[in-house]
Amino acid sequence: MTILSIRDLKVEYATQDGAVEAVDGVSLDVAEGQHLGLIGESGCGKTTLLKAIVQVLPRNGRVTGGKIMFKGMDLMQLPAAEMRQLRWREIATIPQASMDSLNPVQRVGGQLIKLLRVRGGYDKRAARRRAVDLFDMVGLDTERLMHYPHEFSGGMKQRAVIAMALALEPSLLIADEPVTALDVIVQHQILEVLRELEQELNLTVMLITHDISVVAQVCDSVAVMYAGRIVEQAAAEPFFASPAHPYSLGLQQAFPNLARPRDVLVSIEGYPPDLREPPAGCRFAERCPFVQEACKEHDPRLEIVGDNRLAACLRSNEMDALRARAEDPTLWQHVEVAQLVGQPRPDFTDDGRGEPTARPSDVSHLAMAGQSPADPHKSETTPADGVDAPPLLEMRDVSKRFKIGGGLAGLLRGDKEQTVYAVNNISFTLRRGESLGLAGESGCGKSTTGKLLVKLLDASDGEITFAGADLSSVDDKDLLAFRSRVQLMFQNPFEALNPRFTLYRSLTEPLIIHGWKDENERTRRVVETLDRVNLRPAEVFLDKYPHQLSGGQLQRVVLARALVLHPDFLVADEPVSMLDVSVRAGILNTTRRLARELGLATVYISHDLSLLQYTCDRIAIMYLGEIVEIGPSNEVINNPQHPYTQALIAAVPVPDPTVENPPLRIREGVPRPTEQFIGCPFAQRCPEVMEACLSVRPPVIADERAHQAQCHLYGEHRDSPKLERDAAAPR
Amino acid sequence: MQQEASVRNSAAGGATAQFRQGSAIRQLWETNLEVFQRDKMALFGLFVFAIFAIVAIFAPLIAPNDPLTPLKNNDGDWIKDALPYWLAEPGEDEAEGYSNTFLLGTTNIGRDIYSQLIHGSRSALLVGFSAAAAVAVIGTVVGLLAGYYGGWVDAILMRAADVAFGVPFIPFIIVISAFMDPSIWNVVVAMAVLLWRDTGRVIRSQVLVIKEQAFVSAARVSGASDLRIIFVYIAPSILPLSFLYGSFAIAWAILTEASVSFLGFSDPETISWGFMLQDAFNSLALSREAFYWIVPPGLCIMLTVMAGFFIGRGYEEVLFPRLRRM
Amino acid sequence: MNRGVAYYILGRFLQSVMVLWIIVTLLFLLFRLAPSNPLASYIDTTFTKQQEAALLARFGLDKPLGEQYIIYLVNLLKLDLGDTFSYSGKTVLDILGADLPNTIYLTLTSLLLAYAVGVLGGVVMAALRGSWIERVGTTFTLMTRAAPQFWVGMLLLTFFAFQWKLLPSSGIGPPMVRYRWETEWDKLMSPVFWRHMILPTFTLALYLHGLPLLLMRSNMLEVLDQDYVTMSRLAGYSEWRVMIQTAARNAMLPVLTALTLGIGYSIGGNVVIEHVFSWPGLGRTLVRAVQQADYPLAQGAFFLIALIIVFMNFIADILYSLLDPRVGASAQAQVS
Repeated sequence: MTILSIRDLKVEYATQDGAVEAVDGVSLDVAEGQHLGLIGESGCGKTTLLKAIVQVLPRNGRVTGGKIMFKGMDLMQLPAAEMRQLRWREIATIPQASMDSLNPVQRVGGQLIKLLRVRGGYDKRAARRRAVDLFDMVGLDTERLMHYPHEFSGGMKQRAVIAMALALEPSLLIADEPVTALDVIVQHQILEVLRELEQELNLTVMLITHDISVVAQVCDSVAVMYAGRIVEQAAAEPFFASPAHPYSLGLQQAFPNLARPRDVLVSIEGYPPDLREPPAGCRFAERCPFVQEACKEHDPRLEIVGDNRLAACLRSNEMDALRARAEDPTLWQHVEVAQLVGQPRPDFTDDGRGEPTARPSDVSHLAMAGQSPADPHKSETTPADGVDAPPLLEMRDVSKRFKIGGGLAGLLRGDKEQTVYAVNNISFTLRRGESLGLAGESGCGKSTTGKLLVKLLDASDGEITFAGADLSSVDDKDLLAFRSRVQLMFQNPFEALNPRFTLYRSLTEPLIIHGWKDENERTRRVVETLDRVNLRPAEVFLDKYPHQLSGGQLQRVVLARALVLHPDFLVADEPVSMLDVSVRAGILNTTRRLARELGLATVYISHDLSLLQYTCDRIAIMYLGEIVEIGPSNEVINNPQHPYTQALIAAVPVPDPTVENPPLRIREGVPRPTEQFIGCPFAQRCPEVMEACLSVRPPVIADERAHQAQCHLYGEHRDSPKLERDAAAPR
Repeated sequence: MQQEASVRNSAAGGATAQFRQGSAIRQLWETNLEVFQRDKMALFGLFVFAIFAIVAIFAPLIAPNDPLTPLKNNDGDWIKDALPYWLAEPGEDEAEGYSNTFLLGTTNIGRDIYSQLIHGSRSALLVGFSAAAAVAVIGTVVGLLAGYYGGWVDAILMRAADVAFGVPFIPFIIVISAFMDPSIWNVVVAMAVLLWRDTGRVIRSQVLVIKEQAFVSAARVSGASDLRIIFVYIAPSILPLSFLYGSFAIAWAILTEASVSFLGFSDPETISWGFMLQDAFNSLALSREAFYWIVPPGLCIMLTVMAGFFIGRGYEEVLFPRLRRM
Repeated sequence: MNRGVAYYILGRFLQSVMVLWIIVTLLFLLFRLAPSNPLASYIDTTFTKQQEAALLARFGLDKPLGEQYIIYLVNLLKLDLGDTFSYSGKTVLDILGADLPNTIYLTLTSLLLAYAVGVLGGVVMAALRGSWIERVGTTFTLMTRAAPQFWVGMLLLTFFAFQWKLLPSSGIGPPMVRYRWETEWDKLMSPVFWRHMILPTFTLALYLHGLPLLLMRSNMLEVLDQDYVTMSRLAGYSEWRVMIQTAARNAMLPVLTALTLGIGYSIGGNVVIEHVFSWPGLGRTLVRAVQQADYPLAQGAFFLIALIIVFMNFIADILYSLLDPRVGASAQAQVS
C-alpha cells in the first residue's frame, strides 16, 4: 500500500537573482515497508523535497504546484495545526547535521522525555520507561539519559536523534544524510541500527544521501535525483546491476568499490545546470557523454523502461548498448583518464625495479637543491627516482605530544595538566614519485602526521629528514627553501583560499614569498599551473574570487597553488571529502597525473580506504598515533593482518546490494590518547585481545613485500591466552 | 561575462596585474562601500557626521557671537536669559536696550546659546573621533597580538583586559579629572586606557578563528612570515570589525564627554554640549522651563550618537548577515 | 555540580582576587603619585610646619611609599577605608554605608524593570523581524540609548516635577531638616521614598532597556537559525513552544549574564543620574568627594564600586557556567 505519494511537486526559492525551481515536477511513491534511497549530489533538490513534505521550507521557499498525499490526506491542504500533529507521530524526520539537532543546554534524556510527554501524551513514569527502552533500542547506555549533548560523541548523538525520531512510532521515517561526516566504523554501526530497526518495527524509510554505497546497504529501492528532477527509479538490485540513466551510469563509475576496485574512476565532467534558467531539453545533456541533438531540445519524461523501472532519458531504448560503452572510462573524462589507463603502477615495495627512471641526484642538501629562490626557472622534474636513490623523506621514530591545561593560566583555572600523545614513534620512508596513504578513524593522528611532514608542527621526538636534511635543525634560509619544495592540500576548499584574494593573488603569493620579482614571469607561471590542473582557459579564472567557483573548481585551484612552486612533495589532507562524488575522481585523477608528470611524492590522508586504494602505492593504517599496519595498497586491503585494519575494511560500505558487509567485530569510540600504553594501543577494542596485548609491546612483523603489521597475533606471543572481548576495556 | 574576462586578460601581464595586486585594500574599500550602499541608516549616519563636521570646521564663521563672552545691552549690562526672538514679546528687547536676534536665546550670564551650540560640535567630534581612533587602534593591535601569538602575550594582554573590565569607567574619568587639569582630552585618555577591552577581546577571538583557517596554514606552508600572515592575511579580515567597534566608540565617546562635562569636570573655557546642559541645570533653567536651552544640546548629542550607532549597525549587518533585517 | 565546574569557579575566583589586587594597587599609585599633594587643598598658608606634619601623620602620608602601601592593603582587608576630610568625625565607611543601599535600590529596580521589558521586547522584535513595528521599535530603543541619561532626566524633571508638579524633583525624601528613616526597612516601606524613586528609576530603566532588548533580539535571530530549533519544529512542537521554550530559553543565557554584569556597571555608572536627581548614592558622593578634594572618600567610593564590579563579573562567569553546561566542561578539557 502506498503511504506517501508525491505528484508533480514543484518548489521554488525566491533569491536575489530570481526564482530557483529547486524541485521541478517530482513524482514519487513510497509503499508501506519500503526502504527508498534518494540519491543525488548537492543542490539537486533532495533536501528541499524533504522540507516540502514536512512543510518546513525556509521563508523564501514555497510549493508552487503538485500534490503530496500521505495516507490519503492531502498534506498541502491540511491546516497547519494538523500538519504539526502529523510530524513525528506519522512522519518523523532526521534532519541533516543532526549532530547539532539536540538542544545543548538540556539533558538528552530530558529532551526525549519532554517529547514523549508533550507530543506523545505519556505520563511522567511511562515516558521515563519508554525513554529507557528507546535508548536500549538504539544501543545507547541508559545511564547516558542524564548526560548533556556535548558529553556525547558524534555517533551517540546520531543514535539519540534516531531514538527521538522513533519515539512516537511513526509510520514513515525520513532520514537526511544520517551517516555523513561520521567515521566509517560509527557509520557502519548506525547503518546497522537503522537496518535492524527497519526489520524490527517494519518501518517505511526514505533515506536521502549522496552516497550510493549507503543506499546499497540499507535500501531496497532507489530514486536518483538530478537538477530538481527524478531521473531514475528502480529496485535496488537491478539498479546497481544495470543503471538505466546515463547519470546513474556515471555515478556508478565514479564510486570506488573496495570489493571490485576499478583501474580508473571517472568524474562526470561539468556542473549541474543553473536552475534559475533551466535548459529546455534534458538537464543532464550538458554533462552526458551520450548526448544527441534531440536531447537539447526535448525534455525527457520519467517513463517506464522495464520491470518496475522508470527512467527519464531519450535514449532509454538503447540503454544496453550505452551501458557497454559507459564501461570505457575515457568516455567520461578524456584528458586524465587516457593517460592513466593501461599504465602499470610503479612498484616501490621491495628491491624490485618498478618503472622508475633515474633523475640526477640533487638531493644532498636543501639549499643545493637546484632551485635557489632567485632562479625561477627550476628544471622540469622527471618521474620517480630509482630505489637506489636515497628516500626523499624519512620519518624515524617520530612522536608528537601536546600539553594542555598547564601553565600559569591553567593553574589559576585549576586545570590539570594533561599530555596528548598525538603521534607515537612512527617511522616510514617515501621515495620520489611514490604515494602513501594514511588512514584511520578521526583522532588517530593522521592529520598531525601531515602537519609534521610539512613542518606546520615540530616533532617532539624522532627525526624527520627531507632530501637528506634534518627538519628540526633547518635555519631560516633553508626553511624557505624547504617551503618551496613541500606543499599541503586542504580538506575544505571553501576555506583553503583567502576569500578576500582573487585567485591570481592567491596563486602568486607563494611566488612573491619566494622572491619572484618579475610580474610577467609570475603571471606566466600562474597561468601555466592553472592550465595544468585543467582550469581552462586559465585567464578566465585569474580575476575571480573563491566564492564565484564551485567546490570542484576550488579544489583544483588549491591544487594549483600547491603546485605553483613545483614542489617535490605534496601532502593532501582529505582532498575530496567535501566534494560531490561526481567530481571527486576528477580531482584525484588530476593529482595522480600531475604527481606522475612532476615526479611528486604524495601523502594522502583520508578516512576513506577505497579512495586510498585507488590513489596510493602504499597504505599505512594509524591507530592512536601509531602505525599499526603498512604495506602495498592491494596487500593491505586484500590481505589485512591487523585486527584494526580488518575492522576498518569490514566497515566500508560497498556500493553493491548483493555484497553483504562482514559483521563488524569492534565497537565505535576511539579513546582519547592521553596515556601511553605498555602493551598494544588497540587492546581495548580488539576482538582478538590476548593477555600479552595488555603488557607487552606488539612486535613489527613484516613479510617479503614490505607489508608490516604490529600485532601479537603473528609474533612469539601468538599463543597467549585469549581474553574475553571487552575485558581490556576500562569499566 | 566569462568571455569578457578572457578578452580583458588575453594580454595577461603587467597592466592588469597591477590592479589585482591591490585587491586586499580594494576588498576592504568594497566592504566599506557595501556597508553604506546596503544600509540607508548607516548612510544617514555618515551624512549626519558630515554636516556636523562642516559646522565644526566653520564654527567661528557660522556662529553669530562668541560663545563665551557675555553679550551686553546698550547700558553695558548682561543680556540675561533673553528668550529666542521667536518666543520673545515683540518690543521687549528694545525696551531693554538691545536687539533680539538670538535664535535660541541667551544664558543667565548673557551668552548666546545658538553660538554655543555651534561651537559645541567641535568638542563632540574632536573627542568622538580621537577617542574612537584610539580605542579601535589599541583594541585591534591588542587583539591581533594576543590572538596570533597566544601563550604569554595572550595571557598578559587578556589579564590586562580583565583589569580594565574591573575598573568603573565614569568614576575613573572623574578621578582622573581630579588630578589633571580640566580638558576634553581627559575623556580621550580615559577611553583609550579602558575601552579597548571590548574591541580587544572580540578581535582576539576573531583572530583565533581566522588563524585556524586553512588559507592561513596554506600561507605558512608557502613560507610566509608571521608579519606577512598578520598583515596580509589576518588584518584585512579584521579591519571591518575594528571599524564597527570604532563607530560605536565614537558614540560612546560623545556620550561620555557630555556626561563628564555635565558633572562639571570639563574645561570651562571649552564649550561643549554637556557643558551647556550643566550650565542650564545649575542655573535652574528646568524650573523656568527654558526648553530652548535644554532641548537643542541634548538633541545634538542624540543625533551624533545615533549616527555612530547607525554606522556601527551597518557594519554589523554586513559582517554578521544573520542579524540582517530580512 | 561536577568537578569541572567547581574547578572553574575556584579558578575564576582566584582570577578576580588578582584583578582586584591590581586595581587596588593602581588606585593607590594614582592617588599617591599624583602631581599635587592630596592634602594641598587643606593645607593653607596659615598652617605651621608642625600643624602640617601632624596632618600628614594623621593620614599616614609621612611614611615611605612602600610602608604606606602595606598599611593601605592591610586596612583594605580590614575594610578600614580611613577618615574623610570633609565630613568631620565620620569615617569613609560611615558615609559609603549610608549611600550604598540607596544606590542598590535604584539600580536593582531599574535593572529589573529594564530587563523585563527588554527581554520581552527582544523576543517580539525577533518574531516581527522585517515588519514596520520592528523598525520603529528598534529605532526608538536606539534613541533611548543615544540620548544622554542626564538630559532625559532633565526633560522628565521639567515636565513631571516643575511643569505638572506631579513628582518630587530631588533626593529620597522631602527636604525637611532631619527627615530620616530609622531603618532601611522603614525607608523601603515608605511611600514617600518610592515616590522619589519613580523619576530616577524610569530614567535609568529607559536607558538600560536597550541592551537586553537588542541583545535578546540578535540572540533570538541567531538561535532561530540553529539546527536544534529546526529539529523542534520538525518534531511538531507548537510554534509557541519552539519560540519560547527552546529559542528564547537558549537566547536568554547571554542576557542573564549581561544582567549580572549590568548590576556592577550600573552601580558605577549611576553617577550622572544620581547627580541629576540629587540621589544620595555612591556616585553622587564620589563626585562630591572629588570636587571637594576629599581623597580618602573618593578613593573609598572608587574602591567600593570596583569591588562590586569585579564581584559581579565573577558572578556572571559562574552563572554562565551553571546555566550552560558546555562552559564548565570546555574549561576543563580543551581537546577535541
